[in-house]
Amino acid sequence: MQDISLHLLDIIENSVRAGAKHIRIRIINDAQENVLRFIIEDDGCGMDAETLALAQDPFYSSKEERVKKVGLGIPLFKQNAELSNGSFTITSEPGLGTVLTAEFERDNIDRLPMGNLKDTLLGAILGHQDVDFHLSLIYRDQDKEQSFHFNTEFIKEELGGIPLTYPDVIEYIEQSLNEGIQNTNMEDV
Amino acid sequence: MKTLADLKKIREKAQEEMKLRNSQVRIKIVVGMGTSGIAMGAREVMKTFLEEISQRNLTDVLVTQTGEKGLSSMEPVVDVIEEGKPTVTYGNMTPEKVRKVVVEHIVNGRIVSDYVVATGK
Repeated sequence: MQDISLHLLDIIENSVRAGAKHIRIRIINDAQENVLRFIIEDDGCGMDAETLALAQDPFYSSKEERVKKVGLGIPLFKQNAELSNGSFTITSEPGLGTVLTAEFERDNIDRLPMGNLKDTLLGAILGHQDVDFHLSLIYRDQDKEQSFHFNTEFIKEELGGIPLTYPDVIEYIEQSLNEGIQNTNMEDV
Repeated sequence: MKTLADLKKIREKAQEEMKLRNSQVRIKIVVGMGTSGIAMGAREVMKTFLEEISQRNLTDVLVTQTGEKGLSSMEPVVDVIEEGKPTVTYGNMTPEKVRKVVVEHIVNGRIVSDYVVATGK
């Protein structure tokens, strides 16, 4: 993966495959603490301790129908976080869901760039209309904090059955995400 | 700033249009978004479909994402599903190929056979 936003997309797909109906994504860009933190929380099927350990192994995949039993998504994300002097943790409870936290040292030379966060979020939100996304983007610096919150549950309610891939809705969501990403300095981080 | 009032306007406009049509969704596009698909550019493929729908004002097309299907060597992979017709699977997709598929297949109903990797039921 060339950037962090592609890893994020991959992780969101894992949550969807685990049957999540609500996915909460928090991204914190903290200039003072020198950290870029991603917290992805879902209410999918979760994993027991054994599966959780295996999920971080590249030669494990939960996809039983597959001939090729390789699952690189989580191991690669973990590796990239750790390469930038960051950290990576997953906690999970069968039947309750999974929480994944990845931290990157913001000014580390080996940190991957954020990449196109807007396209990741737009694709995930529109590509999974039966899943609700709660998104929080937070930027912190010495004495200021800027945040952006976006809740698709609320938008779907207002739209009353109009699909999210309706042309004007695509534009609405894209522009909203754009504003939020710019206001929290996540565009070129 | 995007506001609630904007959403209400969209809803009214869309409901008006849907009254004139019987079915809501004519054609469904499914973009494979597994790890290998993402690494090969599936996000850009998804984005291009959304752009085309928005620019061409295609109100009866639905785009969704799905996981891997075992066609890793042909990623990014896209399914086009139309009621009463066999599913068409396109492989090795790029934004340019997406634009062609939208014009030829989605708008004009002509399958772009050069990009097809499988057809199903």
